[in-house]
Amino acid sequence: MENARMKFYCDESRCIECDGCSIACAEAHELPAGIARRKVITIHEGIPGKEVSTSIACMHCTDAPCEQVCPVDCFYIREDGVVLHDKEKCIGCGYCLYACPFGAPQFPREGIFGSKGAMDKCTMCAGGPLATNSHHEFELYGQNRIAEGKVPVCAAMCSTKALLVGDAESVSNVIRARVAARGGKGFNSYGWDKAYKNQ
Amino acid sequence: MRKYIYTLIALLGFATVAFGAADSQIWGEMRIQNILGYGQEESLKLGAWFTFLQSKYFAWVFLGVLIGVPTVFFLHYKIVGQKVFPHSHNKHYAFNLFHRTIHQVAAVSFMVIIPTGFIIVFGDFFGGGTLVRMAKNLHGIFTIPFAIVILPMALMWIKEAIFNLEDIKWFMILGGYLSKKKRIINATQFNAGQKMWYWVCILGGLVMILSGAMMFFMDFKIEMLHNLTGLSHIDMLRASAIIHNVMGFILVAVFFTHIYMAAVAIKGAIHSIITGYVEEEEVKFLHNAWYKKLKEKGKF
Amino acid sequence: MTNSFGDIQNAKSIFIIGCNPAVNHPVGFGHILKAKERNNAKIIVIDPRFTKSAAKADYFAQIRPGTDIPFVYGMLHIIFKNGWEDKKYIEDRVYGMDEIRAEAAKWTPQVVADVTGVSAETLMEITTVYAKNSPGTLLWAMGLTQHTIGTGNTRIAPILQMALGYMGKAGGGTNILRGHDNVQGATDMGCLSDTLPGYYGLVEGSWKYYARMWGVEYDYIKSQFKDASWMGKPGFTLARWWAGVLAGKPGEDAIENAGTNLKALVVMGCGITSTSQNLKIQQGLDNLELLVIADPFVNEAAILTNRKDNLFILPSATQFESSGTVSATNRSAQWRYKVVEPLYESKADQDIMFELAKRLGFYEEYTRSMMMRLKSDGHLEMTPDKKTFQWPEDATIEISRTLRTIGMMGWTPERIKKHTDNWHMFDEITGAGKGDMKGEYYGLPWPCWSVKHGGTPNLYNVDVPVSEGGMGFRNNFGLEKDGVSLLSGKGSAPIGSKVDGGYPEITKENIEKLIGRTLSAAEKDLCGANWKTCTSGKLVDLALEAGLTPYGNAKARAVVWNFPDRIPLHREPLYSPRPDLVEKYPTYADKANHFRVTTKYATIQKEKDYTKEFPIVMTTGRLVTMMGAGLENRASKYICALTPEMFCDIHPELAQKNGIKNGHMMWVHSPAGTKIKVKAKYSYTVLPGMVFLPFHFGGFMQGVDMTGNFPAGTKPYASGECANTVVSYGYDIITQIPASKAGLCRVEKA
Repeated sequence: MENARMKFYCDESRCIECDGCSIACAEAHELPAGIARRKVITIHEGIPGKEVSTSIACMHCTDAPCEQVCPVDCFYIREDGVVLHDKEKCIGCGYCLYACPFGAPQFPREGIFGSKGAMDKCTMCAGGPLATNSHHEFELYGQNRIAEGKVPVCAAMCSTKALLVGDAESVSNVIRARVAARGGKGFNSYGWDKAYKNQ
Repeated sequence: MRKYIYTLIALLGFATVAFGAADSQIWGEMRIQNILGYGQEESLKLGAWFTFLQSKYFAWVFLGVLIGVPTVFFLHYKIVGQKVFPHSHNKHYAFNLFHRTIHQVAAVSFMVIIPTGFIIVFGDFFGGGTLVRMAKNLHGIFTIPFAIVILPMALMWIKEAIFNLEDIKWFMILGGYLSKKKRIINATQFNAGQKMWYWVCILGGLVMILSGAMMFFMDFKIEMLHNLTGLSHIDMLRASAIIHNVMGFILVAVFFTHIYMAAVAIKGAIHSIITGYVEEEEVKFLHNAWYKKLKEKGKF
Repeated sequence: MTNSFGDIQNAKSIFIIGCNPAVNHPVGFGHILKAKERNNAKIIVIDPRFTKSAAKADYFAQIRPGTDIPFVYGMLHIIFKNGWEDKKYIEDRVYGMDEIRAEAAKWTPQVVADVTGVSAETLMEITTVYAKNSPGTLLWAMGLTQHTIGTGNTRIAPILQMALGYMGKAGGGTNILRGHDNVQGATDMGCLSDTLPGYYGLVEGSWKYYARMWGVEYDYIKSQFKDASWMGKPGFTLARWWAGVLAGKPGEDAIENAGTNLKALVVMGCGITSTSQNLKIQQGLDNLELLVIADPFVNEAAILTNRKDNLFILPSATQFESSGTVSATNRSAQWRYKVVEPLYESKADQDIMFELAKRLGFYEEYTRSMMMRLKSDGHLEMTPDKKTFQWPEDATIEISRTLRTIGMMGWTPERIKKHTDNWHMFDEITGAGKGDMKGEYYGLPWPCWSVKHGGTPNLYNVDVPVSEGGMGFRNNFGLEKDGVSLLSGKGSAPIGSKVDGGYPEITKENIEKLIGRTLSAAEKDLCGANWKTCTSGKLVDLALEAGLTPYGNAKARAVVWNFPDRIPLHREPLYSPRPDLVEKYPTYADKANHFRVTTKYATIQKEKDYTKEFPIVMTTGRLVTMMGAGLENRASKYICALTPEMFCDIHPELAQKNGIKNGHMMWVHSPAGTKIKVKAKYSYTVLPGMVFLPFHFGGFMQGVDMTGNFPAGTKPYASGECANTVVSYGYDIITQIPASKAGLCRVEKA
């Protein structure tokens, strides 16, 4: 995995809003109520030809804007492009949410007067800065499946294999094959261009 | 003007606060629209603007204000120096207990809000974590007393804070503070500089409270503002962050000025807000119009 | 399912009617999407709602609920008119297509448009696409079955497939999507009141066969009944058991139950609180003398009832706490291994049954056959020295030696386990094994004729030999009808067959003639009277050797002369939104003794014009987050975060006309006088004249919160009104399945 760039892709031609990814994510990481690291959204529901479903979480962007705006510099980007953050540094200011094109950063209401606690977001199942697979890491960031050589749980659970995750090349190959099979149609995923514009 | 203030206060009162809503606008159905809206041609591109400003400028501007403004005053102190007026026994009781209490509450709030604000801005310097989080919380908590006193403060000094023609002259010579010479300045109880501080503090303060509350609570939503601006909730938050920072530069700069003027530029002036008594000589020189009025009434 | 989910990837067109696989079979739906990618398969969805499946379809027709038969006849009309039917296939393999042709002639696109609400152009477009993209596979589920004419619906669908020659082909067939885990297995095992396990009929011959296979005397079984005549009578069904309790009360239907009402009810793993006429269920539960419920979670039957006594809740184990075979929707088996021992004081279902049998005094008879083995001559004998049975392997062995009608003879525990352990060695699409597993199909889809047979991936496929999964249609209804042969025509036997064309099912009598050789005396001794009861397996072996299907090779029947409708006929729902059509397409006459209960049809339909008071069409269905009555799903906080409460999909136009705001509460009233209070959810998936209700909620009854009845700590995260409270009277004429899909209602602001 030397310097492979990890990416997410949600194939809208395949996503059927089964919510498998978001439930799997919540179960695997034992997320508190109100935190949805991954969310499936349908727009134009019930309108023939326009209805689209897609699954959204942190896209682990190139030049991640969250990392740029954080006043306490709690973000760090792994060599494989996975954008992670240090919850013990985070002050819950919300700046990353404002910068994020995907609404990915989530905030538990646990601060004073129900204000924002430390930010929580998709880790691509890669845990956080604490000792890998330690109890502390699990408590704060959830499972570290990447370290165990497993696929992130959302993509593993995806019923129609709409949600893809992996190094940029493998993901591109799968998409290319599918798009070719569809006669060149069906390359669409909200946010793909936005997240990985430079690469 | 008063009507405006009332409107702003009313806005605060009618704010629809939705705590704990799992599906707030930010993460609910609107999420895709928010994503689509991000950086779109016809949009205000607030997300991109915020990212650009916050990542490149805000901290530097604050550093500039933090170092620049005191430097200017240090130079002023060294070059022009302190204005010292003889303090006779003639004093006028200008600020009663109510005035002073309101002012002091606001003052203490500022003394906490501004340093904690700087700690947040330079959060990386402080290493994040508990200290900065505490600063963030104090920043929020001390907004409450300020929010309580801002309205009475606005009302009790508004009459004195309305600009008049004389203020143009004051601005043209910057109140005479650039020269060592003592000149008689034809100002009312508040000179133009003080009036400016009043408006920055009251209007800016309200903007800071509002934008701050929005960011602090995140789902703190004011329908009227959305209807007025047509912004989505997330864009409103982005706008809040930009406004809060920009207004922060101004407020901090003017606040520093206020401190310098009261504590250093005019020796002993600060006592007037502590004891409530203003010195005749100071009033005579710096607030001559007010002085004349007081004289007519037989004060001093 | 005649084929399998994987096989759908071979289809060129996919016709989805009365099911919503994107929601109910999300993983299976992947195969449909892949067919679209691989084959450029056209996806056609016929549904009253714009479902998630419809969102992925190339063609969509929004049909009025309960008008599937007219729609398909409309297609057949166009097919026959243009000569698109598979004439040779019909000639050789179908009986009675002429009657269908005659009926189809009446259903011109204009008539169809009037009845179904689908335009003639859409019908034409869909028919053309489906007929021209061969092979096409047809999918359905409860959307077809849950009507008074449900049986007719499930007949017209295969008739369409046969007209186009799509039946018995890879990429074709009728693929009925089973809705629950192992529901195919449950059906095969005889969880029905009108058959014995394996679809053996309620006739003396079957009972005697079962007595032999269970190692008990026929007289012993007979002695358990009031008298021998009751051994041949179907029992009550899940749909109307409560009628057996309530009979005799004013307004209730009469029963024929040997002069007594039902007094006790044992419920094991069944969400009985989510079947139609929920209020009746509540009354039924209240009027029982004894109610026992065994479920991993507290079954809402215990909550819904007002009874305070003689109600027992037994904690039963989940699938993770027990092991054994489960059958998938494509008739294939998997071994399910136990993950953990049953938690706390819960017990696996069979252990609860064993304890019950012990206390009722028939434990020995109940479990005896698990200690027995078949000898090679076909006799069942006690295994010497076997002191106890081994669960579940001994039960699986019993199943495989007994359920011959559907060909479970090859389902030994060893083979099934081997498949499960080596699942990666099978092809995703065909199910064919590779390497060590060559020659077998994953899970040995039945019929799996013998321990050497590899299973039948696609039913009725004559393009492969019987030994590799080929077969014709079953000979089950005699050799001829009204002078017309029911056996299939020449050239329609599976490849490699000794007999070219049709032949009857294999018996001791005809075996020699069919295989063309004389049997030795020893061989003859091994043969039972017919292949279904020949426990040595000799007749099946001989048939397979000769490339014959044990059950014969006959024509499929388009005409079923022993049903009320010889051919599928459209009949308006009991509560029809089109009173003007009722006269032309009336429902059945009332039916006495329908699974022991008098069941009303015409009486209800003719009572009045319901549309004046109840102008809105109502249908029910599933959510992707839930299953059945939703008990286990509503015990998950993450699922409940997504679907926290009961709601009603309502078109904004209809809602606003009734003053109902999005997210506000509304009442749904049924013609039966029941009502539910639910949250309105604006949705464009339904037409302005109809509403949709999911049926997974429970705990509330007509606005009354009953969740206080939950034992401490067992209340689910989400509760709500059950849609079935407002699902009114109406049951299928053959199967008695509730007619829940085409109802009427009135909506009101709450």
